[in-house]
Amino acid sequence: MLADRVILACIVVLAAVYFYATAQIPTLEIGDPLGPKAFPRLLGVGLLITAVILFFEIRRAPKSPRAKRSRASAAEHRHLWVIAGVSGWTALYYAAFDPLGYVFSTALYLIGLTSYFHRGKPVANGLTSVLFALVSYVLFVKVFGVALAAGMPPFSRLADGIDVCVRLVVTFVHGVLS
Amino acid sequence: MDTLQHILHGFSVALTWTNIGYTFIGVLMGTVIGVLPGIGPAAGIGLLIPITYGMDPTSALIMMAGIYYGAMYGGSTTSILINTPGEAASVMTAIDGHQMARKGRAGAALAVSAIGSFIAGTTGVVALTLLSLPLAAFALKFGPAEYFCLMVFAMAAVSSLTGKSIAKGVLSTLLGLMISTIGIDLQSGQPRYTLGVPELQDGVGFIVAVVGLFAIGEVFSSIEEYLKGKIEFVRIKGRLWLTREEWRRSVMPIVRGSIIGFVKGVLPGAGATISTIMSYTIEKRISRHPHEFGKGAIEGVAGPEAANNAATCGAMVPLLTLGVPGSGATAVLMGAFIMYGIQPGPLLFEKRPDLVWGLIDSMYLGNVMLLILNLPLIGIFVRILYIPTGVLLSLILAVCAIGVYSLNGNTLELYMALGFGVMGYVFRKVDIPLAPLVLSLVLGGIMEQSFRQAMTISGGNPVVFVQSGICIVLLAAAVLLLLAPVFFAKMGELKAAPEDVDS
Repeated sequence: MLADRVILACIVVLAAVYFYATAQIPTLEIGDPLGPKAFPRLLGVGLLITAVILFFEIRRAPKSPRAKRSRASAAEHRHLWVIAGVSGWTALYYAAFDPLGYVFSTALYLIGLTSYFHRGKPVANGLTSVLFALVSYVLFVKVFGVALAAGMPPFSRLADGIDVCVRLVVTFVHGVLS
Repeated sequence: MDTLQHILHGFSVALTWTNIGYTFIGVLMGTVIGVLPGIGPAAGIGLLIPITYGMDPTSALIMMAGIYYGAMYGGSTTSILINTPGEAASVMTAIDGHQMARKGRAGAALAVSAIGSFIAGTTGVVALTLLSLPLAAFALKFGPAEYFCLMVFAMAAVSSLTGKSIAKGVLSTLLGLMISTIGIDLQSGQPRYTLGVPELQDGVGFIVAVVGLFAIGEVFSSIEEYLKGKIEFVRIKGRLWLTREEWRRSVMPIVRGSIIGFVKGVLPGAGATISTIMSYTIEKRISRHPHEFGKGAIEGVAGPEAANNAATCGAMVPLLTLGVPGSGATAVLMGAFIMYGIQPGPLLFEKRPDLVWGLIDSMYLGNVMLLILNLPLIGIFVRILYIPTGVLLSLILAVCAIGVYSLNGNTLELYMALGFGVMGYVFRKVDIPLAPLVLSLVLGGIMEQSFRQAMTISGGNPVVFVQSGICIVLLAAAVLLLLAPVFFAKMGELKAAPEDVDS
């Protein structure tokens, strides 16, 4: 119920911001008679109508008993802290993506996550993380031709090393087959 | 005769070694994605799109469609064995499927699920084959105004049917449309809502949104479930086949599930999940032993599993013939079409019959492959469930980063995907459905274009949207869809009121 009220407030604020931002769009007098503002304005009106519908939905909904705050509920919310932590760690991973390169940043990221979610198995976690980072890099970059960050020096040397290894393996396999 | 020729031509495309290979990869990945918690067909297809750049569009779309219907097969495995649906359409399967597994009939539950899925999937493809041409011919009558009304109808249907609250469904749709307006306006060349960020001039990529909402958001939800609950894994016991009695009890639920699933799949918004709920409810209502439902009734697995597979074929009908997807996953498929420069719709049947019929016919083959993968080879896929959940979820997050970064090599998109992930998680918590957002994000550009074209043709007169019979019917249906839940809720209140007085 509280959540619905917060959503209602957010819709109204969003509609106001959207109308303001729409008004800032520059328009040309020639060409398209409607201009780039018409459709967004329609959406803004739609948002306001949605707010009205939600208001009536909230009024019509049966009132739920007030939830009791207890120590247990604080423990129940532990997952929110964990999810916030995972989000923060993921944001750091993304920040490290370009400078450290895919392989190094991914291995570090996975070691961090698996150390929390799969505790007490440091060797397995470390091996899984490093192997996943290496194998996925080779698979996506070398097999599928997808561009992934190589990283800045000295981390880019890791990508160069992988390149050399892949070439050696390919040459070896080619030699054996021929 | 024309249809037969097209079908035969489609088989000549689908049965090339390359396309057989891509069909296999698609259904294999679909099964794996269905089994994996924290990732569904929409995110799976979205993550795969960057890898398919440069591929032949027919092969790429055959593979992506394989993921879509393959995920329906795989989703039942987790429902039955760990009581955790791999994707939303397998929720109903978990009720009786897991109970069957606990009673030592996991083999039978998996078998009926695979067989039901195969029969329904194949029936659905036959119906898709027969319906496509007439519907595409009808859709040729559509102009910009009719297309705009059709999209309004599709969005109204998805908004009203996918969530508990109409306001929240409509909000989700509007948010998707608003996000679709970000970037350079193609008609006037003016930047809109870009905040001066050059990367936003091309708009917000739908893959970024899909990966964020459906993969990262789902991983966050799975983390919550993982931290809160205990997952009970039931190992497969018994033969992977049905007894004569189980088979007898399953036949009619499969037939009914196939019909319900296909019809519901064709309608925008209703989709696979609602068809499974409907199938389960009907089976329980007409069953001679309704008390067994919830305790391991095989009909409760056969019906919904048939329904969700038939629904995937049904959902391909509006996507291919009208160019209007009716669900999150088909919206992502439509996005894939657009990324290849192909506009799904009636003209596609004239311009690219090889692609359309090759895709449809590959689904016959894909269903046969899925039957083989999901019966004798199910043990291999079950092994995925042995991977510790915490490790699995971490790896999925890393795969999401690969999928998003490989689009444009842009870290801003990674942050945007993370933002969408948090948004997806919060939306799930507050019951705002995600499918309308993705649908409107994909359709937003085309919808605005149709709106402006129609208005330009009419000289700025909005009466153009009620001038043709098709427009009136579509708009009336959209209004009805939005008002129907309010009406039924009011009726419910009125019915309940005398009872309250009595008590």
